[in-house]
Amino acid sequence: MTDRPLDLFADPAPPDGGAERPPETNRPSRHPPRPRVWTVRQVNRASRLLLEESLPRLWVGGEVANFRRQRSGHCYFTLKDEAAQLRCVMFRRDAVRLPADPDEGMTLRVLGRLTLYEARGVFQLVVSRLEAGSEGGMWKLAFDRLRARLDAEGLTDPGRRRPLPAFPGTVGIVTSPTGAALRDVVAVIARRAPWLRVLVRGTRVQGVGAGEEIAAAVSTLAGVAGMDVIIVARGGGSIEDLWGFNEEAVARAVAGSPVPVVSGVGHETDVTICDLVADLRAATPSAAAEAVAPDRRWVGKRLDAMGRRLGRGLAGQVRSRRWWLDQLGDALFRRGRRRVQRSRDRLEAARSRMASAVRGRIRREAGRLSEAAAALEALSPLSTLARGYAVPLGRDGELLRGVGDFPRGRDFRLRVVDGYVPCAATGRPTDAGPVAEDQGTGGDRGEE
Amino acid sequence: MPAPSPRTKGQGATVAKNEVGLDARLKRLEEIVAALDSNTLDLGEALALFEEGVVHLGHARETLARTELRVAELIGPEGDAVGEMRVGDDGGAGDG
Repeated sequence: MTDRPLDLFADPAPPDGGAERPPETNRPSRHPPRPRVWTVRQVNRASRLLLEESLPRLWVGGEVANFRRQRSGHCYFTLKDEAAQLRCVMFRRDAVRLPADPDEGMTLRVLGRLTLYEARGVFQLVVSRLEAGSEGGMWKLAFDRLRARLDAEGLTDPGRRRPLPAFPGTVGIVTSPTGAALRDVVAVIARRAPWLRVLVRGTRVQGVGAGEEIAAAVSTLAGVAGMDVIIVARGGGSIEDLWGFNEEAVARAVAGSPVPVVSGVGHETDVTICDLVADLRAATPSAAAEAVAPDRRWVGKRLDAMGRRLGRGLAGQVRSRRWWLDQLGDALFRRGRRRVQRSRDRLEAARSRMASAVRGRIRREAGRLSEAAAALEALSPLSTLARGYAVPLGRDGELLRGVGDFPRGRDFRLRVVDGYVPCAATGRPTDAGPVAEDQGTGGDRGEE
Repeated sequence: MPAPSPRTKGQGATVAKNEVGLDARLKRLEEIVAALDSNTLDLGEALALFEEGVVHLGHARETLARTELRVAELIGPEGDAVGEMRVGDDGGAGDG
């Protein structure tokens, strides 16, 4: 059909043939031509075919105006330049791949086919691809928009990033179940920390709907009891391939995950929204696995160190007690010595007090002695003798007191002040007259 | 750091071998070592802690000695089922 030249004066030939064909009688003949009446439908059909057949798919550049996304998913807009406008439609199957709606007045280039919407007679471009004229295109636009929103909410704030558990028990992985990324991650964990429990939630990682699947998988794994950390992984690809990881649903799921999320998407140069909200951005899936899985050699060294510290700790406990006992012993010994010294001091003090007391006593006694001696001196008969008295003494020195002691002829001695005088009683003693003045009451007794 | 009581977390041989993760064992070991470094224990407590630490060390080393990584896949619409997964035998037909 396409190689048949279009004859505007021939009957229109709709692609589905038969029913639309005008009756034979309307065919041009030798009769003078009558005005040919086309149906509107025929005209539009012919125009549409003419347009579609004569022009290949075109890239068209211009500014966008009135971009509308219908509930049906189809998008309508106008491309224009200074002089002209072109109506455009992007049907749902292509529009779903559009990462963002373009801004009013944005310079775009679109790839599409010109056609005519027969029902309305409207000339339009059916767009299959839409790219922003600026660098990075619509992807960058969508990325920047979402990023700005997340930034404003603080979800990309580095301060939100949580530390990964040093020794996780359970690791969740969100990735394609058949992809190289999963193999890489599992190989790294198997090498470094094969004791880990690894749970995989397989998803699509590219194409329409991948973002939602990834988001749901993150939420599912985060809800598993004992989950310690989640890896979101995908190998490298074009920005279009990685687009699922730039979707808002993924950002929300990752940011809202109660357990830390490590993003290992693409290669080192690819930064995705998922990377920005994750607790750790790893350059590659393998790097993500290395960040999550502690190296067994390192853990082993740590255990060795711990064992040594345990032993040292216990030894320290014993040592500190021994030291303590030593201190206690020393203190006791010092205290004992001090006590002995104190006793010794007290003894010495008592001794010297006693000595001085004895000396004082002796001095006092000596004084009393000399006083007694003086008194004794005062009582001595010698002083009486000196006054002229004499004391008669018997042969044995006994004192002769009364007349009865002097029988006739008795020899005796008189003690006078300066010696003895031998004497003898020559007569009969007589009683005394009046009592001698110095003999007190003796005279009374003599009178009885 | 407050010295942990030697009896707060299952002591010595009563620690179930498989229920305690490496992380919990290492944390407990840190606590024990810190307590042993302090001077607040009596000798009996210190000995009990030491013995508990040795048990944890032993189990941790057993964990480390495991060589085969087991990978399970969460399946079902809600991720409510678990299936064993073999990884790496399919020659890498994947897209990522």
